[in-house]
Amino acid sequence: MPTKPKPVEGEKKVFMTGNEVVAWAAAAAGAECMYGYPITPQNEIMHYWTRLAPKFGLIFLQTEDELSAGFTMLGGVLAGRKSFTATAGPGNTLMQEPLSMAEMMRLPAVVVIQQRGGPSTGQVVYSQQEVTLTSLGGNGEGLRVVYSTSSHQDLYDYTIKAFNTAWRYRFPTFLLGDGYQGKMREPVVMYDPEVRGVELVPAEPYVGRPGTPGVDRPPAHLRNAYSIEEELYEAVMELVREYEKVAPEIVEHEAFGVDGARVVAVAHGVVFRAVKGVVRELRQQGVPVGYFRPITLRPFPADALRRVAATGVRLLVVESAYGQLARLVKEALSGLPAEVHGLYKPGVLVGQGEIATRIKTLVQGG
Amino acid sequence: MGEYASGKSENAVNRALDLVRAGRRVTLVDLDVVEPFFTLRPIKRELEARGLQVVARERHTLGLGETGVPLPAEAKWALRREGDVILDVGYGAYGAQTLNLVEGADRHPDLQVLAVINVARPMTATVEDVVAHVRELGRVDGLINNTHLGEETTVELVQEGARLVTAAARLLGLPVVATSVVKELAPLLGERDVMGNPVRALERFMPRAFW
Amino acid sequence: MQIQPAMPRSWRPETKPHKFCPGCGHGIVLKALGEAIDELEIQDRVVFGCDIGCSLLSWDFFNVDTVQTHHGRTTPVMVGMKRANPELIVVAYMGDGGGYAIGTQHLVNAATRNDRITVILVNNTQYGMTGGQMAPTTLPGQKTETTPFGRDPELTGYPIQGPEMVASITRDGAYVARGTVARPRQLKEFIKRALQNQMAGRGFSFVEALSTCPTNWRTNAEDTWKFIEKEMTRYFKVGEVKVPPELARGKGEREDG
Repeated sequence: MPTKPKPVEGEKKVFMTGNEVVAWAAAAAGAECMYGYPITPQNEIMHYWTRLAPKFGLIFLQTEDELSAGFTMLGGVLAGRKSFTATAGPGNTLMQEPLSMAEMMRLPAVVVIQQRGGPSTGQVVYSQQEVTLTSLGGNGEGLRVVYSTSSHQDLYDYTIKAFNTAWRYRFPTFLLGDGYQGKMREPVVMYDPEVRGVELVPAEPYVGRPGTPGVDRPPAHLRNAYSIEEELYEAVMELVREYEKVAPEIVEHEAFGVDGARVVAVAHGVVFRAVKGVVRELRQQGVPVGYFRPITLRPFPADALRRVAATGVRLLVVESAYGQLARLVKEALSGLPAEVHGLYKPGVLVGQGEIATRIKTLVQGG
Repeated sequence: MGEYASGKSENAVNRALDLVRAGRRVTLVDLDVVEPFFTLRPIKRELEARGLQVVARERHTLGLGETGVPLPAEAKWALRREGDVILDVGYGAYGAQTLNLVEGADRHPDLQVLAVINVARPMTATVEDVVAHVRELGRVDGLINNTHLGEETTVELVQEGARLVTAAARLLGLPVVATSVVKELAPLLGERDVMGNPVRALERFMPRAFW
Repeated sequence: MQIQPAMPRSWRPETKPHKFCPGCGHGIVLKALGEAIDELEIQDRVVFGCDIGCSLLSWDFFNVDTVQTHHGRTTPVMVGMKRANPELIVVAYMGDGGGYAIGTQHLVNAATRNDRITVILVNNTQYGMTGGQMAPTTLPGQKTETTPFGRDPELTGYPIQGPEMVASITRDGAYVARGTVARPRQLKEFIKRALQNQMAGRGFSFVEALSTCPTNWRTNAEDTWKFIEKEMTRYFKVGEVKVPPELARGKGEREDG
């Protein structure tokens, strides 16, 4: 069999929108199937995947809705192919049903969320209001991995990482972006993961392995339904134990200037870009401020944040939602006498000016 | 017309303003019905203040960006306007067909269709890719080399773009109308690029068209 | 000496006797499927997907790879699997609630796309596992937990004509039939042809199986058979609805009684 051409050879700096970056990165990560349903602002992921498809032997199906997109993706995963979908807002709501199945059955699904405004149809442009849904959605315990990106380079790097995390740990993995990241244009370095020494975790089939079931091997009997409470309890606790075991290997954050800071700003995603700029500038002016960026929202970098908060700083959570990140922060800091303040702007970007003003007020004890 | 993020709108806006400065009457039309929200609308007022007539949807249009966005009636009849008309056509092969929605676009004697090419985009990174891409667009009368990497653009990159785009243009039997480059870099290239194509300086508007 | 009924080779003896109620038709449908798998010698290539509802009790029924999914979502799981690996022969097994109510959009779109999968839908005129509520297939006048005075077609419509709908939205290449557990040999033949049609890569293959549910019908053996043979067939016509010309020309025992 002739080897398929690699979607990305070597490495190269290119100029792209975020949605295109995701399509290329997924192909570079060895993804073979995308099943999707149109919803703004993620459509160009499908547009570019379908353009890449014939050249690199990729599979695509536009399904009848997001339920179908999610469940066909699980079918692709079960067949042993790296599969993903992309959605947003109301589509993310529907996507929680298949992802709940993925959680229970340890299926390495990868889902890209480009957040839009909510609740309901909201707006199609931008928001950070899908943090709670993406991190803790479904009728279960939120046993999934959520990477929050803040740049095109993140989108490329973490799309590749999402497939590796999913297939290494077998928990569904989300890439949480937003409409701005999807549509923004900026340079990004595309690379063949191998060139960077990033080993791609191979996919494996759950069904259809060689041999006749019951004769040469036991059949794969995969289920998500259990008969009685205790039986399910055992199954869920096994999932929880496994999740908690691997969480320390998965969790990621980024921090700056937290030593000796009086105020630490906490932000993720595209808002983090604004926070980073403000904090670095104020630091140069001698203002005792730092920042903390959770890169994984699930599992949340609670230990690292607790160490920061234990020094008695005031935390300022900045987000384009009404306290969704703050809820994760407060849970992580449970029991600590940390002050958590919020700058919440659901559905709009938070300006650098207002961030700076709030930080200065908090530094001065206001 | 051209690829997504190739620089169509930037070139269209700049060309329109050049013509306004030359004392001409100019209308700029946003024909992107796939993702209009992200194109000209946010800078519409500013452009109008500079004397340009702009046909693009206003802010409070229900259903923006979500599904088949309605084409404004003024866009359909744009070629009936007096003076110069610049059409900023949607992206990709399917976007190029929005030109069909403009009354008279198939037979207007003065219509010129220019494809904007950025070789720093992965789908138009090689001569073969550019040729294939332009052929896919349908009618094209000339190419513009708009190779760039946003803030990280260098003169060398622009010249490399000029070489590739010119090679592609020869294979296609088309002229390279210009190499366009941000005004900060334009003096470093001079009047003409390494392939002898005229250099046009761009004032950047699109970063403000977005957040 | 005890005589055991013959079991299809593809059944998993360790999980027998099965978990369905006495008199339930699921066992007969699954026997027909098991025999079809045996005769076609595809045990190593079949993936069986089962829905929620009573059909989920089949999750460990066969010695074939099996995935139990969500209510109504078996069709898309098997569509995604088949597209990812066309070598597999995939069977989506569901009840009338899963196929005709909560999962209708998947059935309609998979049929329209002519996805190369086989769907077997068991029609027992109500929701069995949740305790006997009205289904899209409930007969006019039939009493269920949510139609305690009988289904009133003025309020809730007439029984859905599933195979007829699927036949009307599919093109050449699709196979559509309605069998019944009252005629097991014919049902096996329909299922076998549905699998052959998928194996030939022709298109969507759909078999509705009329089935019994004495538990929720509250019927004895005699009334159970009367209901499936006399009452259900007034609304649901048994037979092949759509057969691709190539399949019709091929062999295939036809049995009508």
